[in-house]
Amino acid sequence: MGRSYFVDEAVEEYLVGIQTAPGSCVTGLLAGQSSPQRDFVVLAVQTPHRESEGQPKASRGVSPLDDIDVEWVTEHAKQVSRMLPGGLCILGLFLVTPPELSKDAQNALKRLIFAMDKYITKGRLWELSEEDVTDQVTLHICSKTKKTVCKTFDVKDPKSSAKPADWKYQTGVSSSWPMLSCSVAVDVQIPMTGSSSDITDKCMKDGLRRWAKQIEAACCLINGRHALDDSELVSGQKKNPKTTHRQTLPARIFVSDEQAELDERSSALVQLCSGSVKVRGVVHCRAYIHNNKPKARHAAQAIKRDIINTVCSRVEMFLEDLLINEGSHKGLCSGQQALPRRVFAPVPVSGLSVCDYMFPDESTADVAERLKEMLDCKTPEEDIDTSLEGNQLFSNVCGSEITESPSDDSSKHVFSEVQTENPKNQKAPQYYAGVAITAAVALLATATSLLYFNE
Amino acid sequence: MLQCDFIFRLKGILEFACQLDNPNGVQSQSTISKSFQDLRSKVTSKNIVFTVCNSPVLIWPNTGFQSSVESLTEASACGDILQWIESDDGGSKKSSKKKDKKKSGPTVVNMKLLFEVTEPAGNTAPSLIRVSTQQHCVKMPLPLDCALSVTTDERLETVCTGLVEALNKQLADMEEVVLQYRKGSSFLVPQPFHFQLPEPAGLITVVYPAGVPDSQLQAVREDLHRKFELPCDRPYLRRANAFHFPDAAYKDGYLRNPHIHLNPPNIEDAKLYLVQGVYSYHHYMQDHVDDNGWGCAYRSLQTICSWFQQQGYVETAVPTHTQIQQALVDVGDKEPRFVGSRQWIGSIEVQAVLNQLLGVTSKIMFVSQGSELATKGRELANHFQTEGTPVMIGGGVLAHTILGVVWSENTGQIRFLILDPHYTGGEDLQTITDKGWCGWKGPEFWDQNAYYNLCLPQRPKSI
Repeated sequence: MGRSYFVDEAVEEYLVGIQTAPGSCVTGLLAGQSSPQRDFVVLAVQTPHRESEGQPKASRGVSPLDDIDVEWVTEHAKQVSRMLPGGLCILGLFLVTPPELSKDAQNALKRLIFAMDKYITKGRLWELSEEDVTDQVTLHICSKTKKTVCKTFDVKDPKSSAKPADWKYQTGVSSSWPMLSCSVAVDVQIPMTGSSSDITDKCMKDGLRRWAKQIEAACCLINGRHALDDSELVSGQKKNPKTTHRQTLPARIFVSDEQAELDERSSALVQLCSGSVKVRGVVHCRAYIHNNKPKARHAAQAIKRDIINTVCSRVEMFLEDLLINEGSHKGLCSGQQALPRRVFAPVPVSGLSVCDYMFPDESTADVAERLKEMLDCKTPEEDIDTSLEGNQLFSNVCGSEITESPSDDSSKHVFSEVQTENPKNQKAPQYYAGVAITAAVALLATATSLLYFNE
Repeated sequence: MLQCDFIFRLKGILEFACQLDNPNGVQSQSTISKSFQDLRSKVTSKNIVFTVCNSPVLIWPNTGFQSSVESLTEASACGDILQWIESDDGGSKKSSKKKDKKKSGPTVVNMKLLFEVTEPAGNTAPSLIRVSTQQHCVKMPLPLDCALSVTTDERLETVCTGLVEALNKQLADMEEVVLQYRKGSSFLVPQPFHFQLPEPAGLITVVYPAGVPDSQLQAVREDLHRKFELPCDRPYLRRANAFHFPDAAYKDGYLRNPHIHLNPPNIEDAKLYLVQGVYSYHHYMQDHVDDNGWGCAYRSLQTICSWFQQQGYVETAVPTHTQIQQALVDVGDKEPRFVGSRQWIGSIEVQAVLNQLLGVTSKIMFVSQGSELATKGRELANHFQTEGTPVMIGGGVLAHTILGVVWSENTGQIRFLILDPHYTGGEDLQTITDKGWCGWKGPEFWDQNAYYNLCLPQRPKSI
């Protein structure tokens, strides 16, 4: 008895429309939501073409299947998984091959699916629960006949063999899925025991993991009701296949500072640190839940995971960016640096939101370009919603002293450096208006603030 | 006794965190105070939420009283909250009331302190703020625990406002304790304890530093005894005296005060004189020790020791049979081979052990014939009135514990409340009270011809 995948018609259209050069293969991702009874696929994206660095590589293997760039496929999967809101995740892979390669396709898919799961789940701050589905789907499509073969693998079991699964197309799979949303204030203080980038990474991960545990353990209200035990998520809307109105359910999260290992102590935990990092600001979160009698606690889990993922993703992206730009010897500098902020855009046809992260020097044009490249969807710039998270009103600063006050995010802070370009787009960095003018003021203010900060 | 109907108890953990550049420097105190100030702001902010345990009720106390349940509003009486709480045993409240022989005291409503992280004031996306000076990062969970005694008709809103005030005060008390006992970067966790004092003080909360034994907190208690006008010769504020909430089980499994479930005999013109405070029932076969037939006096002694521990006079645990025997060897009363034997002990030995292990002195009362015990009403009544400690009585071949008397000064009629250490069963209150293992006996209970010694332990004069 295999799994059943209910697949949106838009995905069918997309898969049928994939162009393949004769004799070559195309890989891609499948995204949607799993539930214990059935799975839903709402999005398919082919792996983008990798810009070749210099000479095109000669064919290494005997068949085009060996030429599949596993690293690139998994990297694409990671980027896409960061763009999916809560409740949605990568469910598997598809592979389009010419008829003569069909019989070897299964092995290639198996290799890919295990590699992809391993890469995506590395660094995740929350643990899978017993109820989480660990099967991933592999879909093989023959480029000539368009015939599909669908199988699943349990990616938590290295010895897992392919199990058959059902692949059914339906209209409007996600059209009535409610969307949970909330804005969450984040204020995490993380001590740093060293300044090299390895230690910084480890400290950040440990600090964020503690915070993530608080979120996971938090009490959650969805649409005013407790999300506990086995009660069904009552969205207050009668299920009517004709209505495509998507309900938005507000979620509220309540945390406590309880941490079991700390609570038994009779004295404080004191660490000598070389400094500390604070992650502070407000994140906007969204999660979708299927409407096939979902349980309230699964909905709560989806929004909580989105909260954890969005903070973790942007910190990861920021540190990756630093590493590329500055090299591993520098690490974080003092002062306040903006993390990339989250923007949302609708996917054509289904209307589900996907998200992206905008660095301070980027614009919606950059976001639109990434959506095209990573998700293969054309989104008009005006549809990209940048209003959900507020712009941090300063550019990235290094070396200035910062006054800490809880709600302070104004442009009192002066800047002396501007963020250098990031590798995502090769455009020249954009300067904030007035930087050049206030440089002189900056020098004066820095000198003054240094005076006040010396004990 | 408590006159209130409810105790609202709010518990929660708030993490205290601060970064000290120099723990021994002059600045550190103000940094610590600033962190506590931030915590007090947090507690008076709109983000705090009280959740009522085992119920769907959430209350926002600082937003002009909002609750997650429509029918609970500012005007609601606090008793209304009970209908939302699921009781643990699953049974309805009506049926359990019939079983109780006596009213078990005020109802405890347990609440938990939480903070909302959604619905924030602003929406600025996050930044990383890095400080790269060498610092001591201090983290300490503060175990907040506030309790309020109220009557049924008190408004729920007033209760919540009262709890927020109590949180604020507790944080201030905690700050004081933390600063007082801090040594450089070594901080002691401030722990709250509740005490039920005689009216008008009622239920109060005192914060003590973790790890500092009661013996070192004498001066603190003296101040508090003065402040609350408490007698200076008996302890009220040691950690062992902490108020035991009616709904909390005792972790060690021993029964406490089984006698309160009994109705005293109805004797004309007689008054009731009972043991004061709390003791544990010790009897044969407990603690995996098979002392059936020889350990009765040891068990009575254990009951007495448990009384001194729970009234706060000693911090030592109730001694085992071996420890009791060793104590008698140590004072020279017995040969070393006594340890590990199954030899009986009597009131004199009980007196010696109480002195050796607990520093407690006892009076011995001798009665040449069991029939004479009926004439000792006045002495026993006085003992329970002034000392109020359990009495060990040994004679014939048996030892028992006397927990009180009903005695008429005019007619001389007397009944004895006996706790029998010869019981070999489990901690089943129903059996113990029904079968008279704890029960009221008449003068005929004693062997009329045997002689008896009674050990009457005296309260030490300390606080």
